[in-house]
Amino acid sequence: MMRAMAPPLWFAFGFAVVVFMLTPLVLVVVFSFGRNALTSFPMGGLTLDWYRALFANDTFWGAAKNSGIIAAAIGLGSTVIGTMAALTLSRLPARYAQSALHVLAFPIMLPALVIGIALMAYFVRLLNVPLGLPTVILGHLVITQPFVILIVHARLTGFDHSLVDSARDLGASPLTAFLTITLPIVRTTIIGAALIAMAVSLDDFIVTFFAIGNGNTIPTLVWSMVRTTLDPSINASATILITLTIGATLLALWLSRYRG
Amino acid sequence: MSTDKIIEVRTASPVEGIGRRPRRGAFSSPASLRRWLLPVPAAAVFVGLFIAPVAFFFAMSFWRKKAMRLVPDFTFENYVETWEKYAGVIAITLGIALATAVLTTTIAFAFAYLIRFKAGRLGPPLLFITLLTLFGGYLVKIYAWKSILGRDGILNSALLWLRIVREPLTIFIYNPGAVVVTLTYFLLPLAILPIYGSLRTIDDETIEAARDVGARPRHAFRDIVFPLARAGTLAAFTLSFLVAAGDYVTPRFVGGPYTAMIGDFIEQQFSLRFDWPMGSAMSFSVLAACIPVVLLAAACLSWSGRR
Repeated sequence: MMRAMAPPLWFAFGFAVVVFMLTPLVLVVVFSFGRNALTSFPMGGLTLDWYRALFANDTFWGAAKNSGIIAAAIGLGSTVIGTMAALTLSRLPARYAQSALHVLAFPIMLPALVIGIALMAYFVRLLNVPLGLPTVILGHLVITQPFVILIVHARLTGFDHSLVDSARDLGASPLTAFLTITLPIVRTTIIGAALIAMAVSLDDFIVTFFAIGNGNTIPTLVWSMVRTTLDPSINASATILITLTIGATLLALWLSRYRG
Repeated sequence: MSTDKIIEVRTASPVEGIGRRPRRGAFSSPASLRRWLLPVPAAAVFVGLFIAPVAFFFAMSFWRKKAMRLVPDFTFENYVETWEKYAGVIAITLGIALATAVLTTTIAFAFAYLIRFKAGRLGPPLLFITLLTLFGGYLVKIYAWKSILGRDGILNSALLWLRIVREPLTIFIYNPGAVVVTLTYFLLPLAILPIYGSLRTIDDETIEAARDVGARPRHAFRDIVFPLARAGTLAAFTLSFLVAAGDYVTPRFVGGPYTAMIGDFIEQQFSLRFDWPMGSAMSFSVLAACIPVVLLAAACLSWSGRR
């Protein structure tokens, strides 16, 4: 049935899916520059007013700072522990490594709502930890670590471990062997994985919402804007969020010399 | 299983085993013992921040709320109440999630197939677009559909502007269709990637070999492509089904009175009612209700691959 489809039909289908995937995001970006306060046609002239209003708002800068702190902590923490795990997994027989990857990916499969409220209940009721940025970072470790492990592990499949073993036989310490042999080979992948983890972290709304207590990140700010007001700056803050997450993804793809 | 075999064959290094340090006997020296400490932090995160909270949260479903306080207990009352009050909502939720998962997986499969086998040089750009939209703002995507479909939204204003309609139409938003479209929208890239991942492991040579010995295109698809894509397809289906069943932001933004989804009510137990045990029982009830659907999907996929 798939093969029976004529090439023009495939072209039309692919085109339709691409339009479907891109149009809504493009519209948000376009309307963030529209003079008309409503997100509707005609959009009026171009303006930067909504960005000016947003940048004059202290709440926005507080949220941006929190998002930045969390993303930086995740870019470092999740990447280090995820890479360490991927290094070990890549030495396991493929069968065991695949099973381990399936189990480690559970947090992506489960609805974020369940993870978010379970973490909140755990922190507040069992551990008596006050909610705040540290608890958000811990929560984001859970949802970003699978991505890092999957990405770095994928790069390390086919990695020739005998290179590292030879270095070790010649007297290099494990750290030296890692820094001089493994790291140069997988460095771009690790940076790519860090950027993806940061994109996931910047993008996350649900886990953040439950784990942060008071305070805002950019997604929770967008949430409160959409829910409470018809603030035309919504499109501007949404555009900033799109720029950050897609920018990180784009950089990751470029660094890992994305080959398709 | 066979996909793993392909990966193994492809990635086996020609100098495998030449290194003096043997692969077996991993604990034989302190250095290799240290190697096994590497995954400890990741395991600690997985156990301490995922398994433990979910287990604790599950235990909480047997607690009770007494005068705004949560009291540890072992009662099934919360489950009974969930069943009595929310069985209908769970049914609607599963229906919407199933529609979303089937739609998403179907489009994702066809698109992944297009990238891998049909698009030729256009394949990489198509995959690139998929990856790009993968992390592009969960909340933003839902908000975008709200502003497209709303009464004063982009679609209506465009139709008015172009004089296609005289009055704004209210049929676009606040109905199950709007919820399914929005959920499909943000799940699609997530579903395309695992399917593409399993299609990528299929050798062109394998298919050509099948064609050479006389298999028709349809049969090559049924006997080679589809069985190898089964794991990725099931992963895509499961992911989209579970995420859709647990989502509460989408129904709140674009759903109407007939699309009350369970996630919405679960969230309210935490934001409004402070009845965490009830919220927990509701969460695990809907997860339990999801399991048969996922198993059925797995059975359907493996059955459809057979003659």
